[in-house]
Amino acid sequence: MSMFNTLIPSFHRAAANGDPYPVCRPQFEVDETEGAYGVTVYLPGVSKEGLEITDEDGELRITGKRATKLPEGLAALHRESSDAAFELLLTHDSAVDTAKIEAELKDGVLRLALAKAESAKPRKIAIN
Amino acid sequence: MRFIQYTNPNTLSIAPASGFGGRFPRGDIEDQIDWLFGTALAGFAGSARGGQFPVDIFEDKDNTYVRAELPGVKRDAIGVEIVDGSLSIQATRNEKSGEAETAVSFNRLVSIPDEVQADKVSAAYENGVLTVTLPKKEEAKPKKITVSVN
Repeated sequence: MSMFNTLIPSFHRAAANGDPYPVCRPQFEVDETEGAYGVTVYLPGVSKEGLEITDEDGELRITGKRATKLPEGLAALHRESSDAAFELLLTHDSAVDTAKIEAELKDGVLRLALAKAESAKPRKIAIN
Repeated sequence: MRFIQYTNPNTLSIAPASGFGGRFPRGDIEDQIDWLFGTALAGFAGSARGGQFPVDIFEDKDNTYVRAELPGVKRDAIGVEIVDGSLSIQATRNEKSGEAETAVSFNRLVSIPDEVQADKVSAAYENGVLTVTLPKKEEAKPKKITVSVN
């Protein structure tokens, strides 16, 4: 546990960003293993084509557009889900090796493996 | 390491550092058992995991569609049944956290209109979304009657 490795979920509302489209924040979980951080994001209705993951300046942004596969011209009798795209913004300082981020999307669940940067791994210091 | 997470804030409250301490209720045995289970289950009840899931219902002239968001569920762990005019959807998701794997189950009962052909119901699961198509009976479909005027 080092104080330098911080993953802070940030709330970014569409209005505050000035984005023209509404977004909603998906359910997600973060866990840690020795060499990597694992992020699991639940993105129901998002296909591989609608998913975009970027990592820039210590900000990992996940955007997923829902691919609705229903015929046109339907009348909604009852709605609980939203058609808004998913957006999740996680900030990490440079504790993650951005070249080694792996992502897998299966059945609406995105699993990310963020390899820790060498500098963030615990190091044993030899004493002379 | 600093993590801000919003799941299961009560996980540790079952075992406070000083044993049960002053938090153990002084009531009768029933209160104590309720307290014990209430604490143990608090993490599940308060979280968005497990239990219910969002459901949408749509309709066109031929079918009624029920759409459920069930990300990360295997197809063979989904059960769709029609019982007494209700559509029952059950699903189980295996969640891995480190070495341990826990099964989270979901279920939901949706009332469906009477005019559904129960034997022709079909379901599809794609990208974590289950869509159940319920065809309407012929007599329930809107009919166009042409009246010839002489």
